[in-house]
Amino acid sequence: MRKRSNRSAKKLGTAAILSFSLVAGACGGGSSDSTPDDTPDAAEAPDATEAPDAEPAEPAEEPDAAPANTADAAIVIDESDVVEEDSSPVFGGTLRYGLEADVNGINPATSSLSSPGLMMSNAVFDTLAAFTPDGQWVPYLAESFTPNDDFSQWTVKIREGISFHDGTPLNAEALQINFETQRADPLVGLAVKPFFPEEGATELLDDLTIVYNLAESNVYFPGTVSGQLGMIASPTWLAAALEDPNLNQAPVGTGPFVFESRSQDSTTKFVRNDDWWGGDVYLDAIEFIPVTDPDTRNDLLLNGDLDALQTTNAASVGDLQAEDGIQNIIDENGEESFGMINSAAPPFDDIRAREALAQATPLQNYRDLIGLGISRGADQSFVPESKYYNPDVVQQGDNPERALELVAEYCAEKGSEINTVLGETTTCTDGKINFELQWSGPSVVQTRIADILNEGWKNAGFNVTYDEKPQDEHILETAIGFYNVVTWRQFGATDPSSDNVWLLCRTIGGISLNWPRLCDESRDALLLEAQASQDDATRVALYQELQQKINDDFIYIFFTHTTWDNAFGENVRGVCDRLTPDGETTQCATSGRTWFNSVYFAA
Amino acid sequence: MRYWLQRLGVAVALLLAVSALTFGAMNLLGDPLFNILGPTSASTLPEDLELIEAAKAEYNLDDPLPVRYVKWGSAFVTGDFGVQFSVDGQPPVSDLIKERLPRTLMLLIIAQTMAVLIAVPWALFAASRADKAVDKVSTVTSFLFIAIPNFGLAVILKYLFSLKWSFFPLIFNAADPFWTRVWQLVLPAMALALPVGSVYQRLLRTDLITTLQEDYILTARSKGVSKRNVLFKHALRPSLFSFVTIFGINTGALLGGSLIVEQIFIIPGLGSAIVEAILREDFPVVLAIVMIVTAAFVVINILVDLLYSLIDPRVRSA
Amino acid sequence: MSDGNIHGAETAVDAAGITATGGDDPNGVSTSDATAQANADGASSKRRLGLGFWIAAGWLFIVFFAAVFAPWLPFKDPEKNFIVSGERPPYAPSATHLFGTDQDARDLLARTVFGARVSLTVGLVAIGMGMLFGGFMGIIAGYFRGWWDRVISFVFIIFLSFPALVLAILITALLERSLRTISITLGLLSIAPVGRVARATTISFADREFVLAARTLGAKNARIIIRELLPNVLIPMSALALLGMAVAVVAEGGLAFLGLSVEKGPTWGKVILTGAGSRDLQKAPWIAIIPIIVLFLTVLALNFAGDRIRAYFDVRETAL
Repeated sequence: MRKRSNRSAKKLGTAAILSFSLVAGACGGGSSDSTPDDTPDAAEAPDATEAPDAEPAEPAEEPDAAPANTADAAIVIDESDVVEEDSSPVFGGTLRYGLEADVNGINPATSSLSSPGLMMSNAVFDTLAAFTPDGQWVPYLAESFTPNDDFSQWTVKIREGISFHDGTPLNAEALQINFETQRADPLVGLAVKPFFPEEGATELLDDLTIVYNLAESNVYFPGTVSGQLGMIASPTWLAAALEDPNLNQAPVGTGPFVFESRSQDSTTKFVRNDDWWGGDVYLDAIEFIPVTDPDTRNDLLLNGDLDALQTTNAASVGDLQAEDGIQNIIDENGEESFGMINSAAPPFDDIRAREALAQATPLQNYRDLIGLGISRGADQSFVPESKYYNPDVVQQGDNPERALELVAEYCAEKGSEINTVLGETTTCTDGKINFELQWSGPSVVQTRIADILNEGWKNAGFNVTYDEKPQDEHILETAIGFYNVVTWRQFGATDPSSDNVWLLCRTIGGISLNWPRLCDESRDALLLEAQASQDDATRVALYQELQQKINDDFIYIFFTHTTWDNAFGENVRGVCDRLTPDGETTQCATSGRTWFNSVYFAA
Repeated sequence: MRYWLQRLGVAVALLLAVSALTFGAMNLLGDPLFNILGPTSASTLPEDLELIEAAKAEYNLDDPLPVRYVKWGSAFVTGDFGVQFSVDGQPPVSDLIKERLPRTLMLLIIAQTMAVLIAVPWALFAASRADKAVDKVSTVTSFLFIAIPNFGLAVILKYLFSLKWSFFPLIFNAADPFWTRVWQLVLPAMALALPVGSVYQRLLRTDLITTLQEDYILTARSKGVSKRNVLFKHALRPSLFSFVTIFGINTGALLGGSLIVEQIFIIPGLGSAIVEAILREDFPVVLAIVMIVTAAFVVINILVDLLYSLIDPRVRSA
Repeated sequence: MSDGNIHGAETAVDAAGITATGGDDPNGVSTSDATAQANADGASSKRRLGLGFWIAAGWLFIVFFAAVFAPWLPFKDPEKNFIVSGERPPYAPSATHLFGTDQDARDLLARTVFGARVSLTVGLVAIGMGMLFGGFMGIIAGYFRGWWDRVISFVFIIFLSFPALVLAILITALLERSLRTISITLGLLSIAPVGRVARATTISFADREFVLAARTLGAKNARIIIRELLPNVLIPMSALALLGMAVAVVAEGGLAFLGLSVEKGPTWGKVILTGAGSRDLQKAPWIAIIPIIVLFLTVLALNFAGDRIRAYFDVRETAL
């Protein structure tokens, strides 16, 4: 075929599309997602919008684990269902895991990995660092992380004697190649480049030691390599995959499982790595099966056709929790679902229009009908149990009178500007603001959400045009800023500094990871100060101030905290027993994905 | 002979027309460059301009539409279906076809077989008891199956026979062995087969009744030929026309039905492939599948004609 | 007879896998059920349309009436979320909501009625286009034969060979998901099936004595077509029209299931799709089942009425 010559051209386009899915936290649109009660994106579908996991963010977003270090943290990862037995693990069995959607490729350096993609990656790759249940980073594949005085330089020593599945040795050079491949990728690179100098970002000290030179101080750098950006792939494979992107379907890492086969939109299979450096692996194999319809996914688990699944669908979560035989790991600490507003284009370049939209939003209805009492209402990107939570920040909404006032004010002054997203339409017609709501579909839940929102907006001064697009296009248009309002999912990284990439001025560009394209230098200052600080009290104050700023800017209309459920069948064991080589417990689940080396079936 | 040549000519013209229409629609209504390059297609940066030029050269996008069509067409007939624009790595379209076609084929074969197995005995039964109570019930039943929308039937069948009573498996798994996969396709096939079978049944019944009124049937009966023999040996064959014709025409109809059934039962077949491809504006995939389906349709209808000439000697001489 | 056309029984375009049949063998003679019935048990009793027809017609009348006058009739707002605090939707059918509500507490009776407006509009436009353009082209082809016939028949074949639903999806996805686009697309797909019937009927009539007579008397072609042929062709076309409406209505449902129906507002397909998840079928089956039943009854009524009309007029024919 004519692959070679246009490889780079294609790469940009499709990689762009794909990477976004990862990066974006957009709501997926599952085809045939007919689960009614679903958290917006929950539409399980190609969630490609697992934003938090977007590795692009240099800081790894791990919206997982408990809010770091809150002494009195309420449980936001509920593992109470998980069966713990003292019996010793047995070898054998194939774990069948139901995913929200399939992915286009499993290459951490160049693919856009959403939660399903990251889940599969967990089987075949190891990350440089990992998180404990308290949200502290610990070395994993790396042996140690040593910062310099101002945390702008990190020396990473890799463990000795580890090889990739294809025999290539794991060494510092391999890490460097991984880093450079990520940085060179048109999309993944967007999350790496802004945080490193152009020259000298990495230095090799010896065979097993590498130095990362950051652009600024970051106390939490190791956290950034506990997710996609920290997944180390075989450099031989990376190079080969750049030549032949079909190899993206056949990943090669150091992980507990080795890739065996993949049939797109059907099963992807990994088998035990008998030589895994981290110790014993009990399962014979894992099969990942994408099932976009959440109801069907539940049915399969309850029928015994699946052994595990991931879901964000509130109704499904409720049903699973009610089942005796199912072990549920409930994680609320992750993403939030919200409406996201493009502040760079009329009408929403004017804060009055933005506030009007927020005030006009039927938040209560949304939370009742979509959150179903299972996904909690959100006012900000932190859950109330988090130490960074700002109790004074309340999401404005359900106030049509105020909205109408603001709309009138806006239209009187700027009603004749052109809303470019809608073509040649003026921003106001007959005193109502015209705008486009875009989401990814086809998805029954997303459509329901659009209808619920429209019902409130249309009676409070707005004329809403619907635009349902296939996920790839949706993410693309959001990234290039060709939208007014979208329904989105984002935030919730284990350490909040990992979410900087979505907020900094420097990530605004032709393709912008700062999706709403709002640049606020003082906000940037807060973020950079917080990532350089080791002092808890300072950080808490800074992040609380951040939440207030975000609330005042009216660029996000927060709906709910997404609830992730990783559910396992009765006879699955060891789900939360993953340890670091140094014997520390690691977090059980994050952003809908779990790990597999400690899993086994009860005898 | 002349007739067959003419048929062939029409068939070829048909394929050309269908492909031209589809090609035109996709290229005029969609934006090929955006689909290949994404946001870069609008960029003015020098490095991006290179990519744009490369893409244009690769896909002949600077050529006028007819030229592009000819280039596509000449590649197509040699088996080069192009690459899938929207998939990472741009694998060849033929890979997708090879993977998905067998599943849809299996689904359709099972569906048509079931439909015929339902229709023929039912029609014979109804015709032999024409207008009696049993026949009236049968008429009502067939109307019911014809009237219920495809998707409605699929949803109900799935709910009843996969969920409420677990007779059938819930999803299709491409990694399973052959006969397991066949079993997984039985329920979706039934969603297609029931309405279609009812249509066949009605046609066949009608024609059987007409045939049964012919004189030679009366003659046979009066000679003492049993009712059963009359039905099978004398009445069935001449009554098959409408049935056979519809059978052929239904290829297109069944493919349409399979789009929806594949969606509802989550079967990764040709139907879901084309829906996805259209939504993503992946031209080569859409064109390839449309051509395959149309070609199949044409071939089947030619076979139907052949069958006609076998069934009815009068036709042979035409 | 065999000039490369697909001959045999008529089928209305089966966009969603349902085939409504007419009977039309290559020679243009009807072999409809009714004729068979007539032959089977005497010609007398089939002059009446039958009770079934009137029931079907009654149902259709109710649906049309409700759809047309919906905004003025006392139906609830189909988009409003009638949430009762303390009780989570969906609400089962009750005095306040006769058909119950969906998961967002929207009244299903209202949604079904307003959905009927879309479905019926799609059906009427589709069949209108079919009869207008298809009928015109079919009559021309059937009357003049020769070159006209070849070209027009070829156009018909193109549309008949193209898997109808694929064409519908193609156009809808590439253009826009509006009522206009969908109606016109389905209209386009109706032209060929209706046209074929028109052509076949015209052919069968064009040889009749009364046409010959008219020609001998010096009548011009146009006059013959309009005064002699058209009335006779209209009859089977009208019967087909009802069947075609049924198919169009179901096609809209099919498109909705693929996520391609009209963007805003309820349609039967969308309303059914909302309730079609396995969880809802178990816990709140009315959300999907009630609109399925309404759709089903309407399609049944259209099919049945169309069949009876054809039977009624066909018998007239054979008695001639």
